[in-house]
Amino acid sequence: MLVSTRWLARRSAGTMLGLLVLCAGLWAATPYFLTAANLANVAEQSAIVGVIAIGMTFVILTGGIDLSVGSVVALAGVAIGVSLRQQLPLSIALCIGLVTGIIAGIANGVLISVGKLPPFIATLGMMSVARGIALILADGRPISGFPGSLRALATNRVLGIPGAVLVMLALYAVAHIVLTRTVFGRLVYAVGGNEEAAALSGINVRSVKIAAYAISGLSASVCTMLLVARLDSAQPIAGIGYELDAIAAVVIGGTSLLGGSGSVVGTLIGALIMSVLRNGLNLLGVSSYVQQVAIGVVIVIAVLVDMALHRRVQRVSR
Amino acid sequence: MRDLRSCRRLLLVVAVALAMACNRGGDARGKPTVALVLKTLNNQFFIDMEAGARAAADSLGIELIVQAAEREIDVEKQMQIVENLLQRHVKVLLLVPSGSREIVPAVLKANAATIPVVTVDTRVDAATLRAAGGTVTTFIGSDNEAGGRLAGQFLGERLGGKGTVVVLEGIPGHETGDARLRGFREALARTPGIAIVASQTANWERDQAFNVAQNMLQAHPHVTALFACNDVMALGAIEAIAAAGKTAQITVVGFDAQDEARKAIAAKRMAATIAQNPRAMGRLAVITAARLLKGETVPTEQPVAISLVK
Repeated sequence: MLVSTRWLARRSAGTMLGLLVLCAGLWAATPYFLTAANLANVAEQSAIVGVIAIGMTFVILTGGIDLSVGSVVALAGVAIGVSLRQQLPLSIALCIGLVTGIIAGIANGVLISVGKLPPFIATLGMMSVARGIALILADGRPISGFPGSLRALATNRVLGIPGAVLVMLALYAVAHIVLTRTVFGRLVYAVGGNEEAAALSGINVRSVKIAAYAISGLSASVCTMLLVARLDSAQPIAGIGYELDAIAAVVIGGTSLLGGSGSVVGTLIGALIMSVLRNGLNLLGVSSYVQQVAIGVVIVIAVLVDMALHRRVQRVSR
Repeated sequence: MRDLRSCRRLLLVVAVALAMACNRGGDARGKPTVALVLKTLNNQFFIDMEAGARAAADSLGIELIVQAAEREIDVEKQMQIVENLLQRHVKVLLLVPSGSREIVPAVLKANAATIPVVTVDTRVDAATLRAAGGTVTTFIGSDNEAGGRLAGQFLGERLGGKGTVVVLEGIPGHETGDARLRGFREALARTPGIAIVASQTANWERDQAFNVAQNMLQAHPHVTALFACNDVMALGAIEAIAAAGKTAQITVVGFDAQDEARKAIAAKRMAATIAQNPRAMGRLAVITAARLLKGETVPTEQPVAISLVK
């Protein structure tokens, strides 16, 4: 346990160092990077994937994966849009959006823990089902014309910090406390670290897993609110590919895809690295094709480093 | 500790690569910078548009930055690109919106930064823009509705005023596709002998078009014509039609007149397509940017000619 905490701290420090090196490189390369306006801009852009990646971290810590989040983003958004069309008040509509996400997550969790489906398959199914329902509900068309109070999430700033960033940071703080200071947090690590041992020691593995997927669905639906506020539109085709961006943020942040080790702090830094990289490449006017290569390379490097460290930890603990 | 050092080394490599990428971009001193933000660069149409824009930028002494999201439908990524380029203080923003309504907040940000916005090919939804208090300086593009009408008239004549048609739509809510469809339907409405028996989206994509067309042929085996709202989908559809052995039975009309579609027409696998001129659009967009930089006023609509290719 001692080894793993120390290792975690060091791993996040490594990711943080990566972010700083990237920022330093961009600061040297372009005068437009290190300005207050641009940094607020980058933070705002990281919020969308950053929020989904919180739930993804919980799921990956249990040793699972959630491919359905992008579709759940679309479904929750359409649910909010349709509710508003039915003249429901905004607060109720937003609750319906959150509940939609949680239900999708619980369905994933039940399929995986009770139905014994591999997480990849269960969430792949949900990815298609949720997308389909979103298209049916919205009749394939984007829903627009949201109340100004929702738009405020994207337009309001507190001390120059965009609203979406504050939401993201608050959620990361809560998730960090849950994972490091609560019994549930320990159970998440225990289930991901060694499921059999966890079950033998009397942990209800099923409910821990269901809760992790429910959290993933919830964070996808919170992301929806930020996205709808940003685009002033709920699109049934929104969020395609977000699951991969979220997984990338988690992996760059040093959480092991095998489960049991990692942190949301790392994920936050991972999400920031992806946004900073995209922002920097845009500022430099780098071709869109090259950008895809750069992002892929960073993901692979991050995992290579992670694996190297992992082997080292195993040597130390032995 | 050694691993930490190797991690640092790897990241330094990334930083150096970035710096080199910067040098490659070049600091064209004194040249005004103009940004062209496309929907995607995975489509020949936009690659042609980029080529036209680059040629004009070279001859007019403009530093042109061309960027696009990985996915054509990813409005949020396109918005990020616009936000990032605004930070770079480009002088004019040439924009092909991925979503006619969804891009409005990005236009507002450009307005706030007093950077003129020129939309190309796809319009920003006028009502949403007006309600939000935003402005677009000028629109450059084809009259897609007229193009749709042209396609409808051609089919009416080719089928001799009698037949059944299936339609492959673009992404619902995309102004471009919606306008083509409106024009097409309007033209066919004047030919009562021709009925549209199915109309579904294939999201502008070739592989989806193949599948959707295949399913349509199952449901409507005696269909006599297919209209696809772009050539990419038409090219997917002709493969499905050929696989069903119905190339001779079904008249296929596409939209965009891409090289591959022109070849398919020459090979009698497709009947016609509507030629837009993406190169001219890109060229006119950059010329317009140059005029705006000189402080000239430009018309609010700048149509680019379309024609039927058969």
